[in-house]
Amino acid sequence: MNRLEESKELVGETRAARMKENWPLLSQQDKDALIRRFHPDYKKEAYRTIQVGPNAGEQTVHELADLLEGESPVAGEKIALTPHHQVDLLILGGGGAGATAALTAKAAGAKVLLATKLRLGDSNTVMAEGGMQVAVSAEDSPVRHFLDSLRGGYMKNDPILLKTLVEEGPEVAKWLMDLGVLFDREADGNLALRGGGGSSKPRLLRCKDYTGLELMRVLKDCVLNEQVELLEFSPIVELLTDGAGACTGAILKNLDNSQYIVVQAKTVLLATGGIGRLHIQGFPTSNHYGATADGLPIAYRAGARLTLQDTFQYHPTGAVYPEPMAGILVTEAIRSVGAQLVNVKGERFINEMETRDAVASAVIRECAEGRGIETPAGRRGVWLDMPMVDIINGEGTLAHRFPNMLRQFSRYQIDIRKEPVLVYPTLHYQNGGIKINVDGESTVRNLFVAGEASGGIHGRNRLMGNSLLDIIVYGRRAGRAAAKRATEIGFGNLTLGHLDRFHEAQKKAGVEPKAVSPMLFPDYVKKN
Amino acid sequence: MSYSDPQSPLIRIEVDGAAHPVPEGITVIQAMWQIGRPMIHGVGCLGGVCGACPITYRLPNQMASKTALACQTAVRDGMAITFIPSDSSKKAIAPIPNDPPTQKTLFQYYPETRRCTACRACSSVCPQEIDVMGGVRAAINGELAAVAEKFTTCVMCGLCAAVCEVQIKPHRVGMYARRLTGAFYPKEATGLLQRIEEVRAGKYKSAWNQILSADEAALSNYCRSDENIVNDTRIEKT
Repeated sequence: MNRLEESKELVGETRAARMKENWPLLSQQDKDALIRRFHPDYKKEAYRTIQVGPNAGEQTVHELADLLEGESPVAGEKIALTPHHQVDLLILGGGGAGATAALTAKAAGAKVLLATKLRLGDSNTVMAEGGMQVAVSAEDSPVRHFLDSLRGGYMKNDPILLKTLVEEGPEVAKWLMDLGVLFDREADGNLALRGGGGSSKPRLLRCKDYTGLELMRVLKDCVLNEQVELLEFSPIVELLTDGAGACTGAILKNLDNSQYIVVQAKTVLLATGGIGRLHIQGFPTSNHYGATADGLPIAYRAGARLTLQDTFQYHPTGAVYPEPMAGILVTEAIRSVGAQLVNVKGERFINEMETRDAVASAVIRECAEGRGIETPAGRRGVWLDMPMVDIINGEGTLAHRFPNMLRQFSRYQIDIRKEPVLVYPTLHYQNGGIKINVDGESTVRNLFVAGEASGGIHGRNRLMGNSLLDIIVYGRRAGRAAAKRATEIGFGNLTLGHLDRFHEAQKKAGVEPKAVSPMLFPDYVKKN
Repeated sequence: MSYSDPQSPLIRIEVDGAAHPVPEGITVIQAMWQIGRPMIHGVGCLGGVCGACPITYRLPNQMASKTALACQTAVRDGMAITFIPSDSSKKAIAPIPNDPPTQKTLFQYYPETRRCTACRACSSVCPQEIDVMGGVRAAINGELAAVAEKFTTCVMCGLCAAVCEVQIKPHRVGMYARRLTGAFYPKEATGLLQRIEEVRAGKYKSAWNQILSADEAALSNYCRSDENIVNDTRIEKT
C-alpha cells in the first residue's frame, strides 16, 4: 500500500474520534496571522506596481498588470468605425449578469444587443454550486447579512453597494422564482436554507448543487423567449469612446471569420466575468474556459478605475486528484453539512466554517509544512472527508443533495460516499474589479459593469453565495440604469481616442506592453 | 500550463480520421490541446455543466458508438472521437402563462412530444444519465412536477433532441416543465414574502441609518460584537 492509500485509511480510522471534536473558530488575531503568512494575496513576489492608467502606483498580480498595460488587438489595424449595429444598450457577456441585464433593459423598452465570447450562458454562473445568499428566515435579516459580508470582506466592501445587495436580495429571489427558478423548498413551501462559511445564519437558497446551472438555464430561456438580439462567438476586443470621456460603443471580433464588428451604442455594459483562467501564481482554477478578465484591460484603457484589483479568492477545496479534475470545485456546502478537512496524519487542522481565505490558508499551511498528501502527478492536497456527510445527516444525503459531486467523481471510479477526496485551493473569484456606483456605472460615463468584472461589493473576500446574488441584483440595476440613460441621450461619436491617450501615457511611463489584451482564451495548446 | 503527467504512457486516439498519440489519463478536451487544436467551439465550462462539448466516440472492437461530454471523459486507447456541434434545436417562444398550466400548456408549444414511440434513444445518449424518456412520458401524462424533477441535472446539450426520430426536444420540454413548476409552485414561500414586505415597510431603516453613519472603527466593533454567533450553523440540521 502506498502513502496515499495509507493516509486515506487513516482518515477512516480517525473519523469517529474527529466527529466528536469541537474545533474552535480562530481569534481575529490568529486568523490574520494565518492569512498573512499563507494566503496567496500576501505573497509579495507575485505582485508588482501598475505603471500606467487610472490605478498607476497601485499593486496587482503580474498576470493582471501585464494585461492592464497590454496592447489593444486593434492598435495598428485599419478599422472603419462605421457601425454594423446601432442599439440603446450593448451588453458584453452572456452569463448571469449579462442575461439579467438584457431582460431588465428589454423590459424597460431598450433596444438591446447581447454579444458574448462563446455561447449565451457560457459563464462562471453556470458552474456555481452552493447557492445564493438571501436573508429570508425569521431569525435572520438583511442587516445581519450585511454585517456577515462586511466582516468577511475585511470591512473593505463599499457600504452602499453592499447594503443594496442584501436589501434587494429577497425581491430578486422572488423575481427569479416567478421566472420559474426551482429553489429547494421545505415541506411548508418555505425556501430550504443552508449555512455557509462566515455566515451567522443559514441563508443559502439552492437547487441541489446545481444552483448556478438552474439560474442560468432559466435566464437563458427567458433571453431566448424575449428574442433579445444575440451575437455569439463575438467577444469584445475594444471599447469606443467619444473623445470626451464617454463610452459610445465597442468593437467585437467574430471568432469564426475574424471580422471586426462595430457597434454604436448609447450605453455599454460589461458583464465579462472573472479571471480564473489567468492561473494567477500558477494556481489551477474552478473557472469557465472563457474567464480571462477581458473586461478589465478594455475598461482600464478607456479610463475606468479599478478597485481592490489586488485581491483574489482561492476556494479552499478544489479537486487535485484525479488529474483531469484538477481545479474543479468541491462545493463549500459539503463542509457546511459536516465534511471535515483532514491532513496526512488523519487530523483536523481548521474549523471548516471559517471564511474561505482562512480555510484556504490553513490547507496551504498543512501542505507547506509537510502534512499534505502528494498525488501521482505531483500535486499536493489534504483530505476532504465526505463520507461523514451521510453519517451525520443520514444515508442518501450526498446522493440527494450533491448529485453533481457524486457524478463527477464517479466518472473516475471514486465514490464520495465511501472515500475521502484530495483537495487544494483553486483560483475561484476576483474579489475586486471595475469600480462601480450603485447603478452599476463605472467612472467612464455610459459604461456600466455588472457581475464579477465589477468590484467593491465583496471587499477583500467574498462570502459564499454572494456572487449569484450580486449578478442578479446588479445585473438588474445596471440594465435598468443603462436603459434609462439611453432614453436621455443620443448616439455619440465613435473614436479610439482613448487608445491614443493610453499609448501616450505608456510612452511617458516607459512601459513596453508585454501582452495583447484582452486575452480571450488561455493558451493550453501544446507547442511542438 | 501542462495538463498531463509526463510519466503517463502514450495511447492513440483518432480524431476526424487521423490518429494521434496522447498521454493516458487526460480528458478528451485536454487531448485536443495536446494534439495542437485550439478549441473555440465544443468547449465551455470544463466542469461538466454547460453542455458545450458533446462527443460521440467508438472504442476498438465495439459496434456501438457512445455519447459523452468531452470535458468529463478520459481518453482511452483506440478511441475514435467526433465532436457534435452544441444544440441548435428549435426553441419555441414558450412564455410562462398568467394562469396555472394545464396538461395542454406544454403541448401548445411542443406538440410533437405526444408522438413519443418509447424507443428510449434519448435516455441512451444522455451524458447525465437522466431518465429522459421517462420525463417525456411524464410530460405526456401531464405530470409536470415529475418532469421537472427528472430534468434537474440537465445540461441542455441537446443530444436527446438530436437522436429523436419524431423530433421531440426533450431537454426543452424538461426546461419548460421546470419553469412552469417553479412559477406555479403549489405552496407559497411565506418567509420570503414577509421579508419583502418588511423591507418595503422600512423595518430596517433605523438600523441602516446607524450602520451607514458609523465610522469604520465603530462599524468594526459592531461586527465583532456579533461574531460569537458565527458558529451556529456549522452542522446543518436537515
